[in-house]
Amino acid sequence: MTGPILSIRDLTVKTSIEGETRTLIDAVSFDLGRGEILGLVGESGSGKSMICRALVKLLPSPAIAIGGGSILLGGRDLVALDEDVMCAVRGVEIGMIFQNPTSHLDPVMRIGEQIAEGIRYHQGFGRDQARLAAVDILDQVGFPHPERQFDCYPHEFSGGMRQRAMIAVALSCNPKILIADEPTTALDVTIQAQILRLLLDLRDKRGLSIILITHDLGIVAQTCDSIAVLRNGQLLEHGPKRRVLSKPQHAYTASLLKSHASIPEEGGLRAVTQVAANMTVRPLLEIDDLVVRFPTPGLDLFKKNKMRTAAVNGVSLRVMPGEAVGIVGESGSGKSTLARAILGLTPLTSGHIRFEGSDLAQQRRLTLAKLRTEAAMVFQDPYNALNPRLTIGDMLAEVLAVQGNTSPVGISDRIGKLLDLVELDRSFATRLPRSMSGGQCQRAGIARALAVNPKLIIADECVAALDVTIQLQIIELFRDLKARMNLTLLFIAHDLAIVRNLCDRVVVMYRGEIVEEGRCDDVFANPSHAYTAALISAIPDIDPDKPLPKGDVHLRSEPKAPPVLRRRSLISTR
Amino acid sequence: MHRYRFVLFRPLQFLPVLFGISIITFILVRLIPGDPARVLLGTRSTPTAIARIRAQYGLDEPLWLQYFYFLENLGKGEMGKSILYKIDVLNLIATRAEPTLTLVLTSVLLSILIAVPMSAIAARNNGGLADHAVRIVSTFGIGFPPFWLALMLIILFSVRLGIFPVSGYGETIGDKLAHLALPSLTIALSLSAVLTRSLRAAMIVALKSDLATAARARGMPENIVFWRHVLPNSLAPTVNLLAVNIGWLIGGTVVVETVFAIPGMGQLLVRAIFSRDYMVVQGVAMVFACATVLVNFFADIVTVSLDPRVRL
Repeated sequence: MTGPILSIRDLTVKTSIEGETRTLIDAVSFDLGRGEILGLVGESGSGKSMICRALVKLLPSPAIAIGGGSILLGGRDLVALDEDVMCAVRGVEIGMIFQNPTSHLDPVMRIGEQIAEGIRYHQGFGRDQARLAAVDILDQVGFPHPERQFDCYPHEFSGGMRQRAMIAVALSCNPKILIADEPTTALDVTIQAQILRLLLDLRDKRGLSIILITHDLGIVAQTCDSIAVLRNGQLLEHGPKRRVLSKPQHAYTASLLKSHASIPEEGGLRAVTQVAANMTVRPLLEIDDLVVRFPTPGLDLFKKNKMRTAAVNGVSLRVMPGEAVGIVGESGSGKSTLARAILGLTPLTSGHIRFEGSDLAQQRRLTLAKLRTEAAMVFQDPYNALNPRLTIGDMLAEVLAVQGNTSPVGISDRIGKLLDLVELDRSFATRLPRSMSGGQCQRAGIARALAVNPKLIIADECVAALDVTIQLQIIELFRDLKARMNLTLLFIAHDLAIVRNLCDRVVVMYRGEIVEEGRCDDVFANPSHAYTAALISAIPDIDPDKPLPKGDVHLRSEPKAPPVLRRRSLISTR
Repeated sequence: MHRYRFVLFRPLQFLPVLFGISIITFILVRLIPGDPARVLLGTRSTPTAIARIRAQYGLDEPLWLQYFYFLENLGKGEMGKSILYKIDVLNLIATRAEPTLTLVLTSVLLSILIAVPMSAIAARNNGGLADHAVRIVSTFGIGFPPFWLALMLIILFSVRLGIFPVSGYGETIGDKLAHLALPSLTIALSLSAVLTRSLRAAMIVALKSDLATAARARGMPENIVFWRHVLPNSLAPTVNLLAVNIGWLIGGTVVVETVFAIPGMGQLLVRAIFSRDYMVVQGVAMVFACATVLVNFFADIVTVSLDPRVRL
């Protein structure tokens, strides 16, 4: 190793909108060594993506510009280069991969062509030569049939394979530096483990230097050599991984580490519910042999069996009052469909759902009426689940008025109490969602769920879109509400650590079926099903001495993504 | 190829559509007040003469029987005889279809040639001077009525500059194209304005899209990013808009045909309506309907070929 490959000195990025200048990146300096993997960590808005965009001078808007500093790469200052020369830097010297491979790959261009495009342009290869090179790269990033898959379109692959394709595109011209912007955030944990291993592998084989942007400290602990912590555009801390993880020098780093949910908690915090043991109490929710199938899209006159895709296939589950049950599984495992079916939002194909003894299939009208007044849902995306035109107060008032349990005079008082419950200031009643942060919106969403005075709350990935420190706060809130109001909680998540943190019981779903069920502690300590074990071992641990399993944690060949635009993907991005 | 399988099956859906259209046109035509026999005879009409003409064209039969004959003839590929022109309707349409179809074709080609570069310039200078210029031009294009535009073009290009003929239709291909230049331009000016608005908006979105960012991040210069990635990803909505407009154009060239005295189907239809020439009106309406169905069918094929994800 002879000195850093990339040196960033006092990099400053500013935006000026209507004369007002704001500093987005504030004099950040760091070096990237040859073969080093640098983890760039920070919460949303910390500027971690902005730095990487600035490195290749692809800032998201003309109003944002580099305001000073230097980016030294191979004796040149990239800040001073003009656009023509930058084109020869991008892709050739610095490759980039992105969070969402689906939107970053051109959907109407064959995968191989997108890889060959850079090779032909930058290296002047002919069509056939470039094809050979692209097939070789596809092979290196783990495509089983590169020759044939060259001609596939992105939508024909699963999320994991798309990210592999994205990596192949980035590596097409042999760059020395790879910038990876949250490359695994949109992927399931087992796929995430594969992609991370691929990146490590490529680093070793090609001597790549990688800047890995992530919000997940577990990923950093498992893959990076050094860590840089960002907050509000400032570099708070930068140093070797072990030093930063074990002796954080900045209070913010310490709080980030503390918020990381995979740190095992030894009893104490979790209030273990006793009700589950008491079998004389009738379950609040009984699900028997539930099957939900979706029709395959398109009018197909020649196929009799149109309801082919089974999202939920023979699920039985009992939920006791006051219990917190976590449902985990990868995207497409049917957990969201199960939640929607329980609330009567998706028609059941067969089987029974009984809520407080009334059957959703047999007494649909009565059960729905019951569900609407005694069960509520909290959604994944806190912004999109709120009407942007209603203030929080109006939104709550609407629910209260529809429910009809609160007298019109008492509504504003009740709104105040609801806001108190979710620990929002009462002044939020007059705020609109767009003026609130993600965490505040999710609290408002929970307040809306509480407004019906529910016995059951179904939370569908309700913290997945939030920063870790906010996630922890919301989990605390749920824990608190559950204890105070004797709520029954059905908590759907792909993040096993969060489920372990909050729930009494966990249900593991895989391809529409429950493969394992039991008390959280038991299941996580001694998983009995291979899939559960694979899921658990694939979580990157924050302790760098507990590495990701070397073997293939994957249980199955990845299913093909639905090759159709009309079908909504079940993949939960973030 | 699997995704083009609909090309085989879609035409089956045309049959009920065309059947429905035949019923509607047949009934609508007969709802127009007036009597073709009376129009045909004009001042010479006597009750006996009218009755003779009505019997000759089968107009004295019950309505359902007339429709049955109409269908029977359609099955044999005939559309009856024109009351006014005294010749077979299909032959009549065949002679008139060529100018109209050529006019539609040249207009559409011209519109695309105008709309794509205009949208590209506007989208790539979004918010800049060129963008505003394009938007103003397309607002004018939509705002000016075609008959006025046509007159202005005649004054400028035919009367002042003498480049193109004032009106009429030619015999040779070159002559025909020269005669169609101004009519096509008239239609293209307003059609391209509609297309530009849609295409420009789609291009602006695609320029900011992740896939464009990713293309730039692998070192593609802006020109390649635009023409290879942004353009193909922004065409689909405009293709469908164009299809709707072509359907409308085929039946809507009458104003332009009248101003430029082009012997096309628009003119034929108008004259047939005035003289209550049922057979011709029915025939022309059927041809328009078929053309519209076909244009949308082709638009579907284009959409599928543009985006491999689309299944029809």
